[in-house]
Amino acid sequence: MKPPPAPGLINRSIVLTLLLLIFWGSVGLGAVWARQGISQAANRNRALVSKLADIDRRLDEVNAQVATAVNPDTLLHQNQVMRLTLASPREVQVVRVTESPELRLAQKRNSEIFNLTAATFNTGQAPAFRGLTAALR
Amino acid sequence: MSKGFASNRLSLLAIGVIACFVSVGVRLVFLHVVDRDELLRFVDKARRQIVVEQARRGTILDTRGNLLATSRSEITVAVDPWSLQEYLEIEKNPSKRARKSAAEKIKRGQLAALLDLPVADVEQAFVPMMRPIDPLKAQRDGKVDGVTKDRWVKLREALPESVYDKIEALAVRGITHNRVYRRVYPGDGLAAHLIGYLNKEGTPVSGAEHHFNLYLKGQDGWIESEKDGARRELAQFRSREVPVANGNDVVLTIDSVVQHIIEEELKTIAAQFQPHFATIIASDPMTGAILGLANYPSFDLNHYSKAPLEAQRNYAITDLIEPGSTFKIVAAGAALNEGLVTARTTFDCSNATIDYKGRTLKLPREDELFGRLSVADIVAHSSNRGAAQLAMLMGEQRFYDYVRAYGFGEATGLGLGGEVRGQLASPAKWDGLTITRMPMGHAVAATPLQIHMAMSAVANGGVLLRPQIIKEIKDPKGNIVRTFTAEKRGQVLKPSTAAQLAQLLTGVVREGTAKGFDIPGFEIAGKTGTTQKIIGGKYSTKHHVASFVGFFPASRPEIVLSVIVDDAVVAGGTAYGRVVAAPAFHHIAEQLIQYLDIKPGLPTNRTFLAAQGGFP
Repeated sequence: MKPPPAPGLINRSIVLTLLLLIFWGSVGLGAVWARQGISQAANRNRALVSKLADIDRRLDEVNAQVATAVNPDTLLHQNQVMRLTLASPREVQVVRVTESPELRLAQKRNSEIFNLTAATFNTGQAPAFRGLTAALR
Repeated sequence: MSKGFASNRLSLLAIGVIACFVSVGVRLVFLHVVDRDELLRFVDKARRQIVVEQARRGTILDTRGNLLATSRSEITVAVDPWSLQEYLEIEKNPSKRARKSAAEKIKRGQLAALLDLPVADVEQAFVPMMRPIDPLKAQRDGKVDGVTKDRWVKLREALPESVYDKIEALAVRGITHNRVYRRVYPGDGLAAHLIGYLNKEGTPVSGAEHHFNLYLKGQDGWIESEKDGARRELAQFRSREVPVANGNDVVLTIDSVVQHIIEEELKTIAAQFQPHFATIIASDPMTGAILGLANYPSFDLNHYSKAPLEAQRNYAITDLIEPGSTFKIVAAGAALNEGLVTARTTFDCSNATIDYKGRTLKLPREDELFGRLSVADIVAHSSNRGAAQLAMLMGEQRFYDYVRAYGFGEATGLGLGGEVRGQLASPAKWDGLTITRMPMGHAVAATPLQIHMAMSAVANGGVLLRPQIIKEIKDPKGNIVRTFTAEKRGQVLKPSTAAQLAQLLTGVVREGTAKGFDIPGFEIAGKTGTTQKIIGGKYSTKHHVASFVGFFPASRPEIVLSVIVDDAVVAGGTAYGRVVAAPAFHHIAEQLIQYLDIKPGLPTNRTFLAAQGGFP
């Protein structure tokens, strides 16, 4: 008759089995936790993509509304309704400036200052402060 | 307890455990091997889904980036009445069920107001109904009775997103929806013949929508994944995914404002002269880029289904007319180019007949009597006999070659579909009089665009260009992926000849057939045309095609403009080009000068107080 197994061996087997159970249980729980995480991330991602698509759709909608609002027919209609009497200029109203506009403006400003100074000189009075600043503007 | 009993118990337990495992194994074998195919089919049907993601069609823009065509999402709202019934049946408490039912009824009233429908119609839609179904498919709900639950009762189509947001906020039980993209054209009828449209099925029918569909349409994407019991996608089970590729944007060469200016002028022409059709084309002579092209009659792209087919025709490329006197640029340009004449060479334009190659030919009639005219006068006063003599100097073949070189008899290549080549017979098929009639624009048929491009060749130094309608392609992020440039078809005239002819054409508005339509400083160069229409095989004296084709400023052209009006009604008179088309040309030119900031070719002699550096 064989002797019964030593209690130490049985104990070690039980501990090993328990450790294995804990290990594989942890692996299983980890896998479930990871899958849950993946699932949540995927759903969040999908929600973001769908939100982006929604924003794009609304942007298109707004762009279409803006384009409708600024089309020449609508603007002309608004011009009439609001009685703005805006009109494009005619050639007879246009003065073509061929030389440098800066020089023309400087010339105009200087001539105004000279006229003002000459007027002051003739009357013998100091030029009004307001008049000078206006000319220098 | 005896040892044998314990041993038996352990054996029984072991057998029980083994039996359990065996039964699980057998079940697994059945599930994975025996019933595998059937179960997989069921699972596939119940859980697997392929979601197609529709590509967004690209937009069409004008040269300044204004939207001409875009896609807008629209919602079709429907009802699943069975869903409401199931929701109420779940509640077993009668009083709670009544409260829920009353709450839903209030919401349905609000829904009716949002949908602008009578409450009774909405209530009717929520009544659960069965609908007939193919008996072979009837087992969908477990019964083979030829009917199924109707879970889609349409309430309203084409709802904007803003309204649907309000409907969604109501949280009405049983409401379902379908989102579709619909093409919208913010300019309504602006450039209708150029842009074209998509029909209700989303198929491009005409214009740029049809011709550039390859760039615009994009590529649908799809996702293979699984869904839960509530038909929501389980994103974590996505197995394959093909991303959607949205369509590219197409930028046209047309300018919305130029287009609007010419369309307004067409409306004026239509109101004043009630023509059969009319066409106005504006383009850049140096690149061939079409800035505006409009036809009368036209139509609203957003309501294309209500427009008659006549209104949908792009007359500029689909219809033929005899060019009339505008064609005289061919004979004059050719004779000058060949060095056979100078601007001062004179011809006797008083004789009704002429000897040509041993035969006496009858020359065409003139609108007024002329004597000897120089080439400059022939162009300015549009002498038919003078033009005939210029062509005779060239001879049939050489004149024909020039007509071909100007682009007549072959399609311009605009590429919007439906373009015709025109009619131009080879000299072998000409009768004896053709050499005298073709130079005045008879015995040849051309589209308005062909006539326009021929004049454009004179404006740009003698180069025949392909008319360009597309400027560039942009990807959905706005990056330019392809640019289109000017395309040369041939050299018609030497640059010096073209410049000389351009100067001769300024005589038309200075002293010739369109006298008085000049704009000081802007050197309008152009040619009037008045063609008798062929009615019943004969040239009619009542029906005409009036035209004015020209460009400005002649010394450095920036715009080529054609106004062609078919069968205008002029009270008590003839629909001459100078009466019908020249005023429109002049009016458009005045507006384009301001809008495009075209500088005068010649200095103007006007003096203003403002011009002297001061203000009143």
